[in-house]
Formats: sequence, structure tokens, C-alpha cells
Amino acid sequence: MKKLISLLPLFVVCAVSAAVTKPIPGAASPARAAWMMHFDLDWKVAGGLPEKALLVSLQGLANRATPQLYIVHPPEFQWEITGPLFEFYQRKHGVKFTELKSADEALTQFADAAKGYVVWDKAVGASLNVAFTIAGLEDAVVVAEELIPLVTKHGLKPIDDLRGRYTGQTDEAIYQDAYNRYWARCAKDRIMLMGGHVGAVRMPAMADWGVREKMFFHDLSANPQHTRELALNRRLLSELTPGGYVFGWHSYGKDTEEQYTTLLSTYGLRMEGLHNLPNLSFNCQFTFTPGFKFTNNHHVAPDAKLTAEPKVYLAFVQSDSIGIGVWTKPGRGKLPFAWQVTMNWTEFSPAALEYFHESAMPNDYFIGGLSGPGYMYPNHIPAERFPLLMERANKLMALLDEHVMEIMDNSAADGNIGNTDLTQETVDRYYQAFPHVIGFINGYGPARTRDLRGTQPLISYDYYIDPRRPRAEVMADLNELIALNAKRPYFLLVHVRESNDVNSLIEITKQLEGPIEIVPVDVFLKLAASNQTYTKRYQDPEDPKHFSGYPKE
Amino acid sequence: MILGGLMALGLTAALAANPALTGRWRLDPARSTALDGWHKVDLVVALDGTRVALTYDMLWIRSKVVVTNTVDTAHPVELKNFFRIEQRHMAVYPAKHGITQATAAWIDGGRTLRTEVFTPVEISQGEVLMRMTSEYRVSETGDTLTLIELHSTRNRPLVYVFNKVPTEAAN
Repeated sequence: MKKLISLLPLFVVCAVSAAVTKPIPGAASPARAAWMMHFDLDWKVAGGLPEKALLVSLQGLANRATPQLYIVHPPEFQWEITGPLFEFYQRKHGVKFTELKSADEALTQFADAAKGYVVWDKAVGASLNVAFTIAGLEDAVVVAEELIPLVTKHGLKPIDDLRGRYTGQTDEAIYQDAYNRYWARCAKDRIMLMGGHVGAVRMPAMADWGVREKMFFHDLSANPQHTRELALNRRLLSELTPGGYVFGWHSYGKDTEEQYTTLLSTYGLRMEGLHNLPNLSFNCQFTFTPGFKFTNNHHVAPDAKLTAEPKVYLAFVQSDSIGIGVWTKPGRGKLPFAWQVTMNWTEFSPAALEYFHESAMPNDYFIGGLSGPGYMYPNHIPAERFPLLMERANKLMALLDEHVMEIMDNSAADGNIGNTDLTQETVDRYYQAFPHVIGFINGYGPARTRDLRGTQPLISYDYYIDPRRPRAEVMADLNELIALNAKRPYFLLVHVRESNDVNSLIEITKQLEGPIEIVPVDVFLKLAASNQTYTKRYQDPEDPKHFSGYPKE
Repeated sequence: MILGGLMALGLTAALAANPALTGRWRLDPARSTALDGWHKVDLVVALDGTRVALTYDMLWIRSKVVVTNTVDTAHPVELKNFFRIEQRHMAVYPAKHGITQATAAWIDGGRTLRTEVFTPVEISQGEVLMRMTSEYRVSETGDTLTLIELHSTRNRPLVYVFNKVPTEAAN
């Protein structure tokens, strides 16, 4: 079993890799040069995808040894932080960016980072993933047919050509061929699940990272109905290092998030998404600025004892990774809000985490998750793999100054609805693994796993705010929950979906009925520990399951 | 007073059923209260004497739910697996093994079916009873069914508008 990498050596490597030029007065780090490009929102296969695939593969190669190329996406892109982080790199790391306005300019600057090019077949979607795999192993850029003249102009030679190689073949056959040819040379502690969008639009913005790290790219299905793809998928996952990473995201056209996350959890692996998370090849090479230390906005000491009054205590949590959504929406800071931090960004995007912490307001409070050091479903993590994963989660939470762990298991749910509960065995494991947290949060949609052991409560979400739901109905829903849960204190934990905005929540809270107090989630859990008006409940074996999981091999 | 109420209930219960209510009805989300968690909602109504079978044919992603609540306008009934159209992003669940008490009556000259149920629900604080009063009103033209649902725990009524599914399409 591979020993997990400690963070310190990683930071040392990153610090050494940074090409220092001269100190910048007022900046935390010495100045350095880098280049940037603006991307638009055109990811159509018949439009902007081929050039973007070329550029992200080039980015992965250009950023192999030092951070040289950064992509800024429009604010409408799912990851809204590329702009703010671009500014952060300039301000805090003294990076002097030069803009590259075209693929031609990018190749002029970075063609030397590539040894050649590999041609993918636009008529065979999976060939793009095979091309990315080859790109990482052979230091190639990925081109569609029409871009060959451009890369040739910059002196790049053909390394491989996938046109026609996979015509008429199934994805299983294509990836089996790729497995036979390339898997032995690929990284074994990480793999790139380059799924997500399918069909006319694809969005492999994370490919730079996979190319840099020489990962095997695929979008094999976790759908039990796709038996042959699933079998190959399982073979790949079984050959990864225990505790390893599955980067990217499942294919929207083949399976579900629930199926894939269940599958990787079955192997004790962890998901780090999404498939369009950009710039990791750049971000991973910056460590925290000198003197920076994570300091969370704790509102209560870990050993404090609070006493709940006969009130309705309400707490808000956002758990879709803080790089998406609410953080950049209007009104942040006006309400106490807990943010689930993607803890592994300490390894892949330290600057992003520093940016969030730096820009946090007193009402912003960070919590650990999701379920562990990465996204996983704990009901399916093998018992023997659980302690190692959670040991890592504990270390990361200590580094990030986090006192609350958030858990989520939608393996038996359909979407985020249905059976979203934790077995008692799973709950036992968390209490054993996290003796020092204030408490646990569970769910995404509503769930009904609840517990209190000593001073550590485990509370599930009683409500999930869909951003599309009319605010008047959200208000009525919350008031109905308050009316139904008539004992006081009532602990009402609310999950806020990524694209809500805080201002609208403020208006809702003004119309809630009863003795309401909105509190930070650490205070919420401390209060919940003082008076258990909620039931103790675990996943009931008789509760229906939409999906029961995968048979052991 | 109570006797008068019961007599009134008896009178209304004795009204003839409205045959226009029968058939398959499909939720019109644009004209209805927002409903999280369900992608398709059909209501199928069947009459058999004083018995009214209200079948909910629901779909959420890949999860299909088909449940029938059969009420009787002649007398109260107990339902073991009572189904309500729930907003699925609320932690309010049917109580396991819960028994729902239901009454039903034809009102407004027989045009409207009114039901009243006391149904146990599971919430984070345990189990409680929710009273739900529902009225099923068919439009004069017979092509629209409006379900108005009032909860004892909710001041804002839920209004679901259904369009009649033609017989040939419903089969």
C-alpha cells in the first residue's frame, strides 16, 4: 500500500519549481513571468473544441516543469474563480502575465514544450481521450485534422494519428486497445475520467492536468447495464494505488454521478472533479504565500459548551465546492454561511484555497468534506481502506483549521433524493475516525441520519434550496418544517445549492415564522449537542434503495 | 352543532359523484405550484359507487411511483400506504407503517371532491400528524382539473393544475 504523500515535501517541491526572478515590493512572493489566455464559452465539437483541446494539451506540457500558462474563463463558466485567481496570482505571487491572443501565439511561445502532435478523430469521440493519454506520455499536443497545418508551421512532427484507427469500434474496444498500448506507462495513483458533456459539446478543461501528470484518459461507464465497459472500468480502478484519485467527472451520457461515485468508493478511491476544472497544471505549482496560515472564523471553541434556548436554530451550508457558485454571488457575508472546502486543493490548488480564505468575511466558515479527503460515498468504502483515507482527512482538516466534517452518500438515492442515509456501521466509523471534530453534517438533498454521541452531533439536512424554486415557496417550505418540528429547540440545517445567491436568502429569512435564530454551523452543532430534540436514526435496511452497489470482485 | 355538521357531511357525501373527474390528468407545471423532485405527475381518477380511486403516477429521474389512495364518500377509511405529492427537498417522509385516516365528500352540488386526511409523517423530531384538506375541481369544459391542497402546517396552499389526457393517449 502506497504511503500517502505528506504535504510538506509537496510544498517544498512546488516552491523549488517556481522560477524566481526578482522580489516584488508588497507582494508575498518574488516576481515571475507567465502567460495567459482568455477562453470563450464555445466548446462545440464543430466549433471551439478542437482549438481548446490543442491549447489545454499544450498547457499541460508547458506547465510540466514550471507554471507558465494560465487560462482565464468567462464569468459564466462553471468555475467562476479563474478571473479572481488570475488577479490573486499577480497580487500575491507577483506573477507578470503576458497575454497570448491565439493558438498561433501560444504555439510560438510553447511549441518547444512538445515533441510533436497526435491527431484525434472527430468522428470518434473516445479518440480524443486516447489522444490526451498519448499527449501526456509522448509530450504531444492534441490536434484535430484541420489544425495540423498550424502545428506543422511551428515545427511539430506527427507522433500518432488516430484517424480511422477506431472507426466503428465501441468505447470498450477503444479503451481496451488504449489500455493495452499505454496503461503500463501511465500514472497509477491517479486517472482522468474525462466524461461530463457528451455529443455536440465537450468540455475537457481539466485535460491539462491529466497531460501533465501522464494520466490515462477515459470515460468508461459505471452503469451496470454496460457490462463490458464496466468490467474494464473496474479493472482500471482496481489497478490504481489505494487511496488514489479519480480526476474529472462521469459521462453525462452513460451513467450517473451516483453510480460512478459508488464505484470508485468501492475501491477506496476519491473523486476530484469536475471534468472542466481548469488550470490545475498551473495551480499545483504554487504553494501558500510566506507566512500564510489557514485561520477559520470559528465562533466557538472546540471544548465549549453551549445551551440551546427554546428557539428554531437555522444554519446554511454550501457544499458544491467553493469554486462554484455562491461565493461570487451578491450578498456573501451578510448571513452566516458554511462552505465545504475541497480539501485536496491543498495539494492541487493551494492558491485557490488561500484566495478563498483571504477573501472570507467573518460570516464565512469553512468545513471539511466531502465525506473524506475527496468526494466519496462512505457506505461503500471498504472497511480496511476507511482509516487510511480518514487519517488523511484529519490531517487536511487540521491544516485548514476545520472543525466540522460533512458527509454525503447518494449511492442509494436517485439524484439527490431518496435514500441518502448512512448505515450505523458508517456512522460508527466516522465517530471513531474523527474524535476531535465538533460534529458531522450529512446529506446533499434532505436526509434523516442523525446521532449524538458525547458532545458530537450528526445532523442531516432538513432542507435543500433549489435555486430554481420560487422564493415564496422556499419560505413556505421552511415555515412548514418549523411548524411540523414543533419542539423547541428545533435544529434546521439547510443546504444551499451552488447557484443560489445570498441576498435572496436574506429576504426569505425575514419572513420565517417563529423564534428564529440564524447561527454559524459550528454554533449550530454545539447547540444541537445540548438538547437532542431530534431522533437518532440510521439507514433503515428496509428503506428502498434505488441502487444497491456493485458486487465484490 | 356537531350533529348539524355531521348531517351536512352526510348530505354532501350522499351527492352523486362527478363523472367528469374520471380519467387521466397530467400536471401542468407552468400553472402549478412549483414542485421539486418530480419530473412527471399524472393523476388517474376512477369512480366505483361511493369509492374514489386516486392513482398517482409519478416519475423522478428513473424512479417511477404508482400509488392509489382509495377514499369513500360514504364513510371514513384507513389507508396503509397513503401517498401525498411531496416537495421532495423537504425532510418530511411518510411514517413507516403509518395509518392515514381519510374522509371524502362531494361538495358544491357534486362538482367538487373534497378529501381530508390525517397522515403521520416522519420528521427530524419523530412522527407527527399532518392534516391535509384537498379539493379536486373540474373546469366547466372538463379539460382542466385543479387540485387545491391545504396543510395544517402550511399557510400557503398548494395548487396543482392538471390537463385532461385524451383517452386514446392515456391507454
